[in-house]
Amino acid sequence: MSKRLVIAIDTGGTFTDCVYRIGGRVNVLKVPSTPIDPGRAILHAIEKIAHQTPARAMDVRHGTTVATNAVLERKGARVAFVTTDGFEDTLAIGRQARPDLYNWNIHRPDPLVPRERSFGTRERVSTDGSVIQPLGPDVLNELLERINAVKPESIAVSLLFSFANPRHERTIEKALRKLKIPVSLSHVLLPEFREYERASTVVLNAYVAPRMSAYISGLEKALSQRHAELSVMQSSGGILSAGTAAREPVRTILSGPAGGVIGARAVGIQAGIRNIITFDMGGTSTDVALVDTQAEPEVTIEGEMAGFPVRVPMLDIHTAGAGGGSLAWIDRAGTLQVGPQSAGASPGPACYGSGDGATVTDANLVLGRMHADHFLGGAMRLAPERARVALESVRPGRSAFATIEKFAEGIIRVANARMESALRRVSVERGHIPQSFTLLAFGGAGPVHACALASLLGVKRVLIPASPGALSALGILDADMSREFSRTVMTTPEDTRIKKHFADLELEALEVFAREGRKASVRRYADLRYAGQGFEIRVPWGARVVSEFHRMHRRVYGYEDPSRQVEVVTLRVRAVSPTRLTRASLSAKSGSNASGALLGPHRIFEEGRWRAGSLFERSALKPGNRFSGPALVVELTATTYVPTGWDVLVDSFNNMMLTQVSGRRSRSTNHREAHP
Amino acid sequence: MTRTRLDPAEIAVLGHGLHSIAVEMGTALRRTAFSPNIKERRDFSSAIFSAAGDLIAMGDDMPVHLGSMPMSVRSVLDSMRLAEGDIALLNDPYRGGTHLPDITMVAPVVLHGKSEPAFYVANRAHHADVGGMHPGSMGLCHEICQEGIRIPPVKLTQGGSIDRQILDILLANVRTPREREGDLTAQLGACRVGVERVVGLTERLGRVRMMSGIDAMLDGSERLMKSLLAEMPSGTWSAEDFLDNDGVGLKQVAIRVRISIDAANQKAVVDFTGSDSQVPSSLNAVFAVTWAAVFYVFRCLLPHGSITTAGLMRPIHVIAPAGTIVNAVAPAAVAGGNVETSQRIVDTVLKALAPAIPAVIPAASAGTMNNLTIGGIDPRSSLPFTYYETIAGGMGASPQRAGASGHHAHMTNSLNTPVEALEYAYPFRMIRYSLRDNSGGSGQHRGGDGLVREIELLSDADVTMLADRRSLAPWGLIGAEAGVCGESAMIAHGKAETLPGKFTRRFAAGTRLRVASPGGGGWGKVTKSTDPSSNK
Repeated sequence: MSKRLVIAIDTGGTFTDCVYRIGGRVNVLKVPSTPIDPGRAILHAIEKIAHQTPARAMDVRHGTTVATNAVLERKGARVAFVTTDGFEDTLAIGRQARPDLYNWNIHRPDPLVPRERSFGTRERVSTDGSVIQPLGPDVLNELLERINAVKPESIAVSLLFSFANPRHERTIEKALRKLKIPVSLSHVLLPEFREYERASTVVLNAYVAPRMSAYISGLEKALSQRHAELSVMQSSGGILSAGTAAREPVRTILSGPAGGVIGARAVGIQAGIRNIITFDMGGTSTDVALVDTQAEPEVTIEGEMAGFPVRVPMLDIHTAGAGGGSLAWIDRAGTLQVGPQSAGASPGPACYGSGDGATVTDANLVLGRMHADHFLGGAMRLAPERARVALESVRPGRSAFATIEKFAEGIIRVANARMESALRRVSVERGHIPQSFTLLAFGGAGPVHACALASLLGVKRVLIPASPGALSALGILDADMSREFSRTVMTTPEDTRIKKHFADLELEALEVFAREGRKASVRRYADLRYAGQGFEIRVPWGARVVSEFHRMHRRVYGYEDPSRQVEVVTLRVRAVSPTRLTRASLSAKSGSNASGALLGPHRIFEEGRWRAGSLFERSALKPGNRFSGPALVVELTATTYVPTGWDVLVDSFNNMMLTQVSGRRSRSTNHREAHP
Repeated sequence: MTRTRLDPAEIAVLGHGLHSIAVEMGTALRRTAFSPNIKERRDFSSAIFSAAGDLIAMGDDMPVHLGSMPMSVRSVLDSMRLAEGDIALLNDPYRGGTHLPDITMVAPVVLHGKSEPAFYVANRAHHADVGGMHPGSMGLCHEICQEGIRIPPVKLTQGGSIDRQILDILLANVRTPREREGDLTAQLGACRVGVERVVGLTERLGRVRMMSGIDAMLDGSERLMKSLLAEMPSGTWSAEDFLDNDGVGLKQVAIRVRISIDAANQKAVVDFTGSDSQVPSSLNAVFAVTWAAVFYVFRCLLPHGSITTAGLMRPIHVIAPAGTIVNAVAPAAVAGGNVETSQRIVDTVLKALAPAIPAVIPAASAGTMNNLTIGGIDPRSSLPFTYYETIAGGMGASPQRAGASGHHAHMTNSLNTPVEALEYAYPFRMIRYSLRDNSGGSGQHRGGDGLVREIELLSDADVTMLADRRSLAPWGLIGAEAGVCGESAMIAHGKAETLPGKFTRRFAAGTRLRVASPGGGGWGKVTKSTDPSSNK
């Protein structure tokens, strides 16, 4: 095979980021997104790239929010939902609990399928897969008629216990084929127990399938003229063939933050760091995840989208509802709150020029932790006066905060506390000691807050990757092709049929990859629990699977009980066709003197007073350069704030490694100075 | 101890830290518990208390637990001294509990170099069986001794190790000891997680600052409630509402309340004098439950996201005469007071407040938790099982919008048991689980619809139902209609028989039970110009 050019394209709200390597060098191209037809920006970018590297076949790896947006904007297909008779309201009832305890006006989002398009069918399968009520031909015909009458564009089928015996779902699927519309089947998409969560996942898939398959086939067609082959990023952090993505688009619904985590992992591998906590702070929210670069990325199936559960593998990413746009306000008890309301992209922080609300970004600007003249490479000038006015309008009496700067510091502390909880949730609360980790910060606002959060967690090192704004696209470039295949079995670890189940799953996996012309390696996992528990721990399958489960249970929950029977709930096979990581070339080392990148002096407010610091231009920094905080480093897509007590070293890959040198800990950031 | 003043940002940081610890305790409990009632339905709560026993943080769990847990902690502190590694256990409703299935654990947080606890963490979980005359321990009884094992505050662990003798007494008195042991272990684990995290938080913030911050949080809560009372109209409002009956006799049971708001002095008195005497069945509420219900209503009047601490209730005085349905004394049976009477207390308080703050108060919600308990022998394993769950109903419509359908309201917020989880765990087959059409009261805003849950028993079993609003419907407000009453029925040999709201009976394999929960009351008169289809 001739050497193909691999291009990763990540569609964001404002920009479409493209990343590709030529001769080991990473090239970044940013083009404006075209939200109405995201494909236009992609083709535009491809034209540009093809112009520079003519006549090469291309692989285009795409991170898309087409499916996500269809759900968020509720612009998906007209879906018909088929389930077992008596359970038509499964989607409407959900789990019967209200989302907010102390509110008499609660409102859950309306189900994606209304009652009049939900159909029960007389059939029943038991827990062990035996058929209690066969699905008769009359029933089937009647069902077809009823479905036809509502003129659906897509169909979701999720029968009770379909994972134990898929026969009835298959029968229904066969009968529905003549309608020539997409059919999503629960035993194919998610052969796992808990009917509401499964149905929700299958319905989400049906809801986005027509739009996604149209988008993908349109894009494929246009790309084929360029001899480019398309594949798509999925929520699990692996790449999916375009065909599977079109049929099972629910697998891409939570893929937004996945690229960043995979990108962070690649950066960590390159820099020789094992344990990473990723910290991706954007405008409205912050995503954090734990990464062991020597292990596969951790995945979970407990995702949620717009209030609907999504049970397909996704990277285990925790989201906190605080970002640069989060609004500060004083509640009636006199406590300073930040978020959950956000100024969002529009009107945005006050300093952007149109909003009036006091945001985290405004607070950073007031404190000199962002720079008015160096935002987006100077393309947009920030208005510090507007930020001060906005903060002043919220600031309580002078007794609480003597100056506007002290109030701004208060806002940052509260925002940091919210993100700290998220970081603790993925680290401490899962039995990891954060002190041994490196915090890898990206996203527009991540590098501004990274050191403060590291201090709160006791983390000593912070890494800011070479292009923090394109890390997500970089991750897509480096991600493996992968897919997971699963089946709920609910049995004991000694059950001899497990072998057969695994063999079936592996065969299915290899066939799927072979159809796409790929070889894959497969790994076995099982979700285990103590018989009777309601939550499982995923353990690699092997001779020591049970003892490994006990060990992990102790690590996560503080105890183990070897006398209890262990239960195998779900078997999983993960098939991976790895992407060969091309090692980036090392840049030549220059000296430690960073003065070539120095833009000038810069004042930064920290711990109750103004300090004299320096302002650096990131793109002018060279490997080997060193400098100390307080400092601000500006670049096109991000600003890094280096507090007093932190040293910076630029490594051979142009990452900035920040190390805490003084013994200061969280206390210093949390404490008020006695007096200025 | 020296005190420093914390600024509003530091108080917020502390509040977030404590709240996320309470949530994490709940997560640990849920993920390691064994009974579906805890792991699937989340019938548990977690909270953190000051050294003085004041509530300073709680999870987003079950309101009836959260409001009443402070009295459990108080009762533990009054009866014993907890040292590091000790964990107290209790369920006695007359010593700060609610009803016997709710087992509470309290653990001290002892900081390095100190001997006295600086904080306490506690959690409470509803166990699917604690013995007594009915499987599931939720049936009708005449006195508390019939309801199950009653445990005053005792130390389940001392110096970090479990007192096996206490555990053995407990396990010897329940129907499903292995499951109980697993759930209790999960509760212990959650306590340890809580202790560890509170120690960590204190170390990070510094002890002196933490203590000052907690005082400030409590004072802030008090100010918050006072600012609410200051905005309410001054005056006195009364209301009465009723339980259908006590499950033994057919007489209605009255709850009466008189609420006085003094806006000038920012105080309120909620006085239940005049409520009926305690009854010879399980519908009696202990004072902790009544207090929790009042706490819940006033908490709902506060802005979203307010930090919740004991300080909120400082300006509110609750009076409930001893020996009444709202402050039962031993040996009254109390299983249903926690789950049914608590809801009616909320209804009564809301009814009284409706004329005072009509723009806020919603119509009555389903007003019952439809407690269903089933026990027997599982033919698949030949082992005993006990199943407990509650079935949601319609929420009352509010002045702002229609009531939600099929949602738990007010004092509970447990989830349903997934049908597929239920059939794996118990010898049942679920026949139907649907919304109950047109059961919400019509009005300018409609009440929410109730649910229908129909279960076929695959083995002989003892079935207990504890439900209300079977004869007195959930009321509407401002001229709207009431919701439809709940109904229960059994279907055997093709014949349906209506069942009362409260009963315990043995049914043969093959019998189907159908429970239809009440709809919520509507809000606002339907005028001709109001299109009934547009009020969703």
